[in-house]
Amino acid sequence: MDRRNFIKLTALTGSATALASCGNPEHTIIRFLPEDELTPGIAEWKPSVCPLCASGCGLTVRVMDTDVEVTREGQAGVTRMAVAKKLEGNPDHPVSRGGLCARGQAGIQVTYHPDRITQPLKRTGNRGEAKYEAVTWDQAIAELATQLDGLATAADQKSLAFVTARRSGRRATLVQQFLAKFGAPAAMAFELFGNDVLRRANGLSFGREQLPTLDLARSRYVLSFGADFLGTWNSPVAHAEAYGAMRQGRPGLRGSFVQIESHMTQTGANADEWVPVFPGTEGVLALGFAHVIVHEKLRPADAAGRAGALIAGWASGLEEYAPDRVSKLTGVTVHRIEEIARHFAELRPSMAFAGGPPLAHTNALFTAVAVNALNALVGNINEPGGIFFTPQVATADTGPSASGAAPSFDKLAAGIVAGQLPVKVLLVDGANPVFATPQAWKVKEAFAKVPFIASFGSFLDETSAQADLILPDHSFLESWVEAAPESGSLVAVMSVAPPAMKPLYQTRAMGDVLLEVGRKLQKPLDLPWQTYEEALKTAIAPLAGGKDIDEDWFAIRKQGGWWGNLSKPAPPVAAASKAPMTFVEPQFDGDVQQFPFHFLPYPSAAFLDGSLAHLPWLQELPDPLTSAMWSSWVEVNPQTAERLGISDRDIVEIASAHGSIQTAAVVSPGLAQNIIAMPVGQGHSMFTRYATGRGANPIAILAPVMEPETGSLAWAATRVKISRVGDPDGRLILFAGAKEEKPNEGLR
Amino acid sequence: MGLLRRGGFARFWTVVVCAAAVVTGVACGVLAPPKSGTAAMTVLPGQASGIFTPAHSSFGKAVNDFFGRLPPPTQPVEFPHKRHVEIGKEGPELKCTETCHEGVTKSPVAGLPSVNTCLGCHAAIAVDKPIIKQITAMQEKGLDLAWQRVYGYVAQAHVKFNHAPHIAANVECATCHGDIANQTVAQRNVNMHMGVCVTCHREKNAPNECLTCHF
Repeated sequence: MDRRNFIKLTALTGSATALASCGNPEHTIIRFLPEDELTPGIAEWKPSVCPLCASGCGLTVRVMDTDVEVTREGQAGVTRMAVAKKLEGNPDHPVSRGGLCARGQAGIQVTYHPDRITQPLKRTGNRGEAKYEAVTWDQAIAELATQLDGLATAADQKSLAFVTARRSGRRATLVQQFLAKFGAPAAMAFELFGNDVLRRANGLSFGREQLPTLDLARSRYVLSFGADFLGTWNSPVAHAEAYGAMRQGRPGLRGSFVQIESHMTQTGANADEWVPVFPGTEGVLALGFAHVIVHEKLRPADAAGRAGALIAGWASGLEEYAPDRVSKLTGVTVHRIEEIARHFAELRPSMAFAGGPPLAHTNALFTAVAVNALNALVGNINEPGGIFFTPQVATADTGPSASGAAPSFDKLAAGIVAGQLPVKVLLVDGANPVFATPQAWKVKEAFAKVPFIASFGSFLDETSAQADLILPDHSFLESWVEAAPESGSLVAVMSVAPPAMKPLYQTRAMGDVLLEVGRKLQKPLDLPWQTYEEALKTAIAPLAGGKDIDEDWFAIRKQGGWWGNLSKPAPPVAAASKAPMTFVEPQFDGDVQQFPFHFLPYPSAAFLDGSLAHLPWLQELPDPLTSAMWSSWVEVNPQTAERLGISDRDIVEIASAHGSIQTAAVVSPGLAQNIIAMPVGQGHSMFTRYATGRGANPIAILAPVMEPETGSLAWAATRVKISRVGDPDGRLILFAGAKEEKPNEGLR
Repeated sequence: MGLLRRGGFARFWTVVVCAAAVVTGVACGVLAPPKSGTAAMTVLPGQASGIFTPAHSSFGKAVNDFFGRLPPPTQPVEFPHKRHVEIGKEGPELKCTETCHEGVTKSPVAGLPSVNTCLGCHAAIAVDKPIIKQITAMQEKGLDLAWQRVYGYVAQAHVKFNHAPHIAANVECATCHGDIANQTVAQRNVNMHMGVCVTCHREKNAPNECLTCHF
């Protein structure tokens, strides 16, 4: 570059810079007075509770001052606030023990999500159009109170329905009391990947209607029937920590782990031995093991006690479940059945448990009871290295109980569509049934028939877009948060924590809104608490058993919960009378000729049932086995793929008798030739900018087949066909793989 | 153009690549407008804007940031540092590190006082002065002074400066901030570059490893 050009360029850059720095808008920003006394630059760690799944892990939140854009009295400006910056596991918490999964780490994005609903909204457009106008909290609460008063005036309180995610603790108690005092039926807890079958089985076998706590750390031999316990099932953080101890924490002793499943999960990929089995025959395999153990006199049959008595033919040595018959039914070789059975009985302490797809068939209860019997036979219940049941904290007051049990969700939807269940006011808290139910249930049509719907959601999803009124809840970091872990700890736990930060927006805690609505009704409900905090304190502070309830409460909120031994633990429930069960072939929807493949949807490692698909860090999280991110895919066996002319990333259509979806194929050896598997979570038609219109939703095409004993959805009981419909079009994004699509393209 | 006439092969291609990059950038901006029209893209009432981006709000800010240039501070009120330091020496207890910038002794950041701090004294002192009346009115409305930082590091420097140990080691404020005691509004008149830090650390036998100051 010569001198002249250098000068020209310098002049150009200089003038551009000078022009660019003209005007300095920072000092024109309105700054509000900070509400807290803050020490700048010093981080504080506050306790909290992770609400993203039911495990109830304890968190610590790094809180530090920063400038935050806020709106006060309609005026936008900036203020200094102490806000959450990072989430970690609470090292003192008995469930998470300082651990936190990737989903929990991403939980901070719930608070700072750009599409969060910031204030109460009232619908102005058609349902699902997402057209809303801003209303004040006074107007919103008055509107809901007017609707409820309308029901009360017409003596039609039974037409109020409350749909919620499965919740425990005081939040559930508060809702239950609200509904009971109003005169409405109990709340309907809806979860796609529910564990009701396992709870029922554990109630029958052991008198504990709850999920098991796995003492992996002290176990020598672990037999898992389909449970993705290191990824998505039960209490994954507690399991991962204990699993590490089992494998590497004892010098000279490394526990063995066998995974029995039809489709390889993240957990299965960690196993020493991976045993593929025909879908729905896991219970037979468990009894095959029991047969070998009894016949080789490794344990006497009567050692199984109550759990064994639930299986027909148990006392007479399980003649029906001899290894050669079991081998034919399950596809596992006789030699392998015998070998695993011997290891299971001899390498003690051992444990067996079932979860996931085996408990999503029509014969699921039999499978769960069979695995329980196998466990009891070897003596693994309430023994170190076996299975425990976490003592449950009773948080429900002895208040009035709801007038009438809630119908199951499919019956509710069917009842509304058929006009038999005249629901006039529907409240939704934390559930997204429009997305997470089979289309055959017609939930959207049912919602269209409900005259008034209010949602407490923080985001516009498929369900809250149907709402007439949105009363946005705080994020969990901004409000009191609690969880009563059902499993994951050997001692009783009640996680509870105060807000880690002040609310960023005009949101309100759902508990406080319900209490206020209760006070504003023409006939006030007279609930026993003024605030949600009071509802928590009155039940949880007495657990510590100290003299001063305020002191106890201070200590509990400081450590993020209470844990310890209960003074009066609940005794096991007496055995219910139940006819001994026998193996029945699982029923699958769809003709085997027309729909030759078993369809296995499974909770994705990032989004579980899809409720976390709005968090961009989780969209960016590569799937542990396929490395796919920001997309949907379906796994196909290599031989099947070759036969059907399907290559990796080809676009395929999956059709059941109830609908079809298209997605990209991933050829994977981790499943049998007659099975195709697909992760659940994507395919949202409306769920923030990050999830909307991304991938396909396998739940939509599921058959409405139910497990008959519990009435829960048998989500692994659908048959499908699959065909190639097109070349790879870039919709499948692999981590560091062929970047055929930029995941952020098209985002604002 | 001399650039092309006398430039070598590499230089020619540098220019071509730069020009291509600019053209591509512009073209992408023009040819790929953001998608719109889907329901989820609707901005709901109360949401700040539809746009979530780490980009700078103006071209000027981007240029300043690129060159590591901090714009000169513009303060909301003319705060007379000199007057306050004088009062601190003679009369009531008034110290930089205890009254207004009290974070300096215990945290990485010195902190800038809110109007609550001002009115701790000025609720009773010099209440009839226009500037104090202005500040009192702000507090009543819940507003604060939008002080601007005078010194600071650009993000690219990856510097983690911690005030507290420097105060503990008896480094005078004036060493880095100049003679504030004789200024009204604080001026940025010490050029704090890395050389200043390293020289002082050497003189005082303070650690001089990269990670002492940099991330």
